[in-house]
Parts: sequence; C-alpha cells; structure tokens
Amino acid sequence: MSGRDTDGEAGGDAADGERAGGGGETEMNLVTAVNETLARELHRDEAVRLLGYDLGPIGGVYRATDGLYETFGEDRVIDTPLSENGILGTAVGMAMRGERPVPEIQFLGFFYPAFGQFMYALAKMHKRSGGALDVPVTVRVPYGGGIKSSEYHSESTETFFVHTPGVRVVCPSTPRETKGLLAASVRSDDPVVFLEPKKIYRGFEEPVPDGDFTLPLDEARVVREGGDVTLIAWGAMVRRAETAADRVDADVEILDLRSLSPIDVDAVLDSVRRTGRCVVLHEARRTLGLGAELSALINEYALDSLRAPVKRATGYDVHFPGHQVEDAYMPDAQRAQYAVEAVMDYEF
Amino acid sequence: MALWSERRPSDDFHRVLAPDGSLVGDPPELGDDELKRLYRSFLQTRRLEEKLLRMQRRGEISIIARSLGEEAVALGSAAALAAGDWCFPTYRQTAARAYWGSPVDRSVASLMGAETETVNEHLPPDEEGEGVVFTPPYVPLTVNVTNAVGSAMADRFRGTDTVSLAYVGEGSTSEGDFHEALNFAGVYDAPVVTVCQNNQWAISVPAHRQTAAETFAQKADAHGVPHERVDGNDVLAMYEATKEAVKNARDGGGPAFIEAVTYRRVEHNTADEPGVYRDEEEAEYWAERDPLDRFDAYLRREGVIDDDWVEAVGADVDAEVQAGVERAREVPESDPERMFDNHLHGEPSWTARHQRAELRAEQRGENPFTDFDGSGL
Repeated sequence: MSGRDTDGEAGGDAADGERAGGGGETEMNLVTAVNETLARELHRDEAVRLLGYDLGPIGGVYRATDGLYETFGEDRVIDTPLSENGILGTAVGMAMRGERPVPEIQFLGFFYPAFGQFMYALAKMHKRSGGALDVPVTVRVPYGGGIKSSEYHSESTETFFVHTPGVRVVCPSTPRETKGLLAASVRSDDPVVFLEPKKIYRGFEEPVPDGDFTLPLDEARVVREGGDVTLIAWGAMVRRAETAADRVDADVEILDLRSLSPIDVDAVLDSVRRTGRCVVLHEARRTLGLGAELSALINEYALDSLRAPVKRATGYDVHFPGHQVEDAYMPDAQRAQYAVEAVMDYEF
Repeated sequence: MALWSERRPSDDFHRVLAPDGSLVGDPPELGDDELKRLYRSFLQTRRLEEKLLRMQRRGEISIIARSLGEEAVALGSAAALAAGDWCFPTYRQTAARAYWGSPVDRSVASLMGAETETVNEHLPPDEEGEGVVFTPPYVPLTVNVTNAVGSAMADRFRGTDTVSLAYVGEGSTSEGDFHEALNFAGVYDAPVVTVCQNNQWAISVPAHRQTAAETFAQKADAHGVPHERVDGNDVLAMYEATKEAVKNARDGGGPAFIEAVTYRRVEHNTADEPGVYRDEEEAEYWAERDPLDRFDAYLRREGVIDDDWVEAVGADVDAEVQAGVERAREVPESDPERMFDNHLHGEPSWTARHQRAELRAEQRGENPFTDFDGSGL
C-alpha cells in the first residue's frame, strides 16, 4: 500500500544527527532561511510540493515563498482555495500516494478548521494502516505574538499538537536552526507541525550554511551552559531568555527545546540535575501549556536534584489580547528575569 | 405511510434494471464471466455479513455495520475501477472489497479487535499491484473524500492516469469536509469519483433532515463538479454510471459525483435499534426492491445463471467465508505493546521507551511507578 519511491534520500535518517554538506555560510534572517530551504528541497526532491493560501504569485503573506511559484510552477507551489481543512486533507491524500507535501496554514490561529484532518488523518494514518502508509507532510505554521497583529493572528497553541501522538512538533529559534530543522522535517517520513516564530522572521541575521544542512529532530540545543538555573525556551522566546540571562545575577543554562514533541527528556533532566533549578519560558497560556509537562517530568524524575520549585514564566490563561495590551500578556526578558531571580532566592 | 425519506420522488434517476429485473435501458457491455463475478461478490458480501452478525451476537465481534440491500452501490461502482486505482471506503462498502478479492481473513481479524500490526504479522497482505488499492476503511466520515481528492491531485500533477474513488453517505454530505473536498476536486480537475451512498438514514436522521436541497447530487453543482443520480439498487446502472465517470477522469476530464439512491434496510450498526425512530414498513417496501433479487431475475432471464450455478457459487462463497473466519480466529491475541508501534519513525523517544517499559511492568504484575530518576525500570 506504500506510495511510489522518491529519490531515496527521504527517511528517518534525517533525525540521526547534524549533517552539513560543506561550503561557506551566508548571513540571512529567519524568513529567508525558510525560503532558501524550501527552494532547496523543491529542487532536491520532485515529490516535494508546497500548497496553501497566498503561496503563489504573492509569495505568502510573510513572503516566505517569495519567487518559488515563478521558479517551480503552479503544480509544485500550489495556490489553494481558502480552506485550511481542505489544504491539510488534500496534503494527506498526496502523501499517501508518495508525495512529500509541505502545506502552509497562514496563522496558527487559523488552524482550527483543519483539526479534523489533523486528528483523523494526518496524525493517525500511519498507525491506522499498521505502518503500511507513510504520511510525510510538513505543515508550516507561523505562530506567536508580539508583532502588533490582531488576536487571532498571535496565538501559541502548540499544546494541541503536542498532546497528539503520531506527529512531530518542531520550532526553530534562529535562521541557522530554521534551515537545519526545516530540511530535516521535510525529509522525515513523519508528519511534522513546523512552527515558525514570526516575531523573529526578520529580527536578526546569522550565518547559515550554504550547502545541504540538516539538524536532528529529537535533540534539544544547549544555547549556553550555566550552573545555577536551567531556562527552557523555544522559538521567539529563546532570544528573550538570552537577554534575561545577560541581565540576571546567576549562571543561567539556556535550553532551546527545538523539538516540542517528542521532548528530549534526557537533555532536560541532565540540565536540571546539574543546576537544581528550572524556569520554563513560553508564550502559550499557562494551564496545560508545555511548561506544565516539563514541570511534571522534572518533578517525577529529578525531584531529588531540585533546590527550588519549577516556575513557569508564560502567557496568562486568557484569549490573546488586542495589541494595546499584548506586551503585558507576552512573557519578556523581564518576566523571565523575575522567575529566575525567584527560584534563585528560594530556600527549602 | 412514509415510504420515502427524501423530498424528491422515487424512480427519478438513471436505471437499467427495473425492480422486477426487466431491462428499462441499455445494459453495459459485460461478458458472462464479468456478470457472474458481480453476482458472486454480491453473494459473498451477503454471506459474510450474515456470518459476521452471528459472530457479533456471540460476542466474537464488538460491532459491525451491514450493507444488506445496499450492496449494489459499492459493487457496481468499484467494479468500474481498474487495477492500480485507489479506493477510499468507509465501513459500508464490503461489496467493493469482495469484488476486488480483498481477503476475508484480514477484515474479520480486524473486526475481532486485533491491532493491524498483529494482522499484518499473521495474515500478510497480498502483493501490491494486482487489484485496486484500498485504504484502511475510514470511520470519521468524509475525511476520506478530501484525502481521495489529494490522491487524485497527485495524479493530475504527475500526469499519471490513476483514478481515485471515495464513498460518502448522504448524511455526511452535511460535513464541511465534503464541500472542501469537492471544491478542491473541481478547482484542480482532479481525477476523482465520489459516490454518495444515499441510504436515506444517517443513524436516526432521515435524508430530508440533512438538506433542503432537492437532491444530494445537486450539491456538486456548487463546486462545478458534474453529477448524476442513479438507482443504487441497480448494479448495472451503478456500474455504467461509474464506468463513464472513471473513464472521463482517467482521460483528463476531471471529477464526478454520483448520488446512488438506496435504502438502509437494517440497523445503522449492531448497536442501533431502528424501530425506535422509523416506520419499519419502509424496510418492507425496500425489501421488494432488493438489488440481488433484481440482478438474479435479470441474469436468469438472460440465461447467464441457473439454480445449479447459484447453488454451487453459494457453497463456494460459504466455504471461502468459513475458511477466512477460521484463519482470523487463529490470529493470536494482540500483544498490548503493539499499541506503541507505528507512531513515529526512527529511534523511539524517551517517553515512548519509558511508557512501553511501564506497560510491560504492569503486564507482569509489577509496580510501574518506581522510577524516580528517569533511568528506567
């Protein structure tokens, strides 16, 4: 029941380790890294097709697919009707036939109509077929607040996806990470929800390897080492974690989770065992946000190492507010700093 | 007495065989062997479902959905496909699988609750490429239609001539997925045929409560998809209409939608009691329009089959069904650990490894909660 063979490169091996094809590096921002990676994957494997709303001549509302329609044509970069569930459902059907579709949902807050296809087909088809059918779909979704967009355009609801088995959830925090993780996601035989932190699409540039470059899909990244407290973040929050770490009077270890599902539990526990303290920083609402799971894992498996309770510096349990007050909702370096200082000051 | 659940009057559709089996249109060009294959598939479906019902009543199977009196819809349409085409069924198209020789043992083993991995291990699927490819039957309805359209879009973009076929009930044409699927099919000229098995009851809700539209077929109009309304109890009409739609799709002519009008004479599934919500005299009316009786009368009149042949084929399918059930019964109970299989490729995650170990401990009667440092059990 498997679909046609692709070029043989695709497979779970992309998750095995970091691979770079050599060559130089080019400074670029995060959204350009998305664009470059998609162009490279479209060129590398003819089974790769992008589909979504406004992907074509306009190049995406964030220009992430700029120029790809012109280069690869309307059958590879497919402008669709306005129909998130249709986009996801047809992507699943293509994938069942050996294609490697990369659908885009324009904003995470627009994902909900596609939840039927997400739950029933995307996340479950591989298991339902007893492994006979692969569904190698990478759903790109810009997410997050902080750009004075409107309420439905700013949410972070990664928990919904993390709670669902059978799907990877990946979130890059820098341009270099974006290239490596997106390439690995597209090549993975698993469904991947790839969350793009749109606040930092154009926030900064860094050198990105020019050649073929993938990163493992199941390893957290130690952004900086430290001995006093572990600060866990992902996506746009990693930069804020770094700012907080610079300001606070403590030796902070920053862990960029990268893979939100599955979680690199070893990396989390190893770090917390060394530091004895942990703060989770995320944009999402607090209750049952990913911080809750991380806190629970640390409680269950590293309680003996803790010198303070785990604290969660997060958004509040409210609907994402309008842009006059979004800064008050969003966790920032200051909120992260407060949380770090609180656990540093705590004594059993 | 309500004999018809729809707004549209009966008999206003494409038909080849009248209820008494007499010809009212030109029959499709089918040889005797092909006609007999249809008949045999009819019979196999009916005998298999009778067997499954008995197994369900004995508790060997938890639940089944029968297609008694509706078999011609799936049978006639699936017979119009060619080897290599893709079919996206729901749970009421047993006849489509029977026609294409889908092994009885595997479907019975699945109905008995075995994990697919266990079924695959003990009753491996046949080699690919000899028949129509069936996806796992979809339970959440209309999800399959959108997937079928995506499958067809892939063929359209590649320039291959495979056709995808999906089934939907009249009730689930009320779902958003149905309209999204047909909309994409129309926009991309996808080679996909969607067959609506309008059996007039979606569990307890009658057809006229699903839509104010005059027919279900006309829903395709809004999406620019050609449609036809067919007598779903006439296997030759179903075959003919689908054959034309499939040929057109294969030749680049795009999608089609077929409303097959039939009637759910039995319960929705074995957990349902139709007497609570409908007049059972309706079912009697429809029993007189049985699709197998109609086909049987036609074939006898044409001299294609006779009593001896029907008896021999009946014995043959009974033996096949019985053998399949026996093989399914020999499939060992699924190892609970199978539940962890086939979620993600590659090395199992920390969570997957630890939870599997917890289950294993619990199965051994040991306490699974003794790991306090993450090192495992």
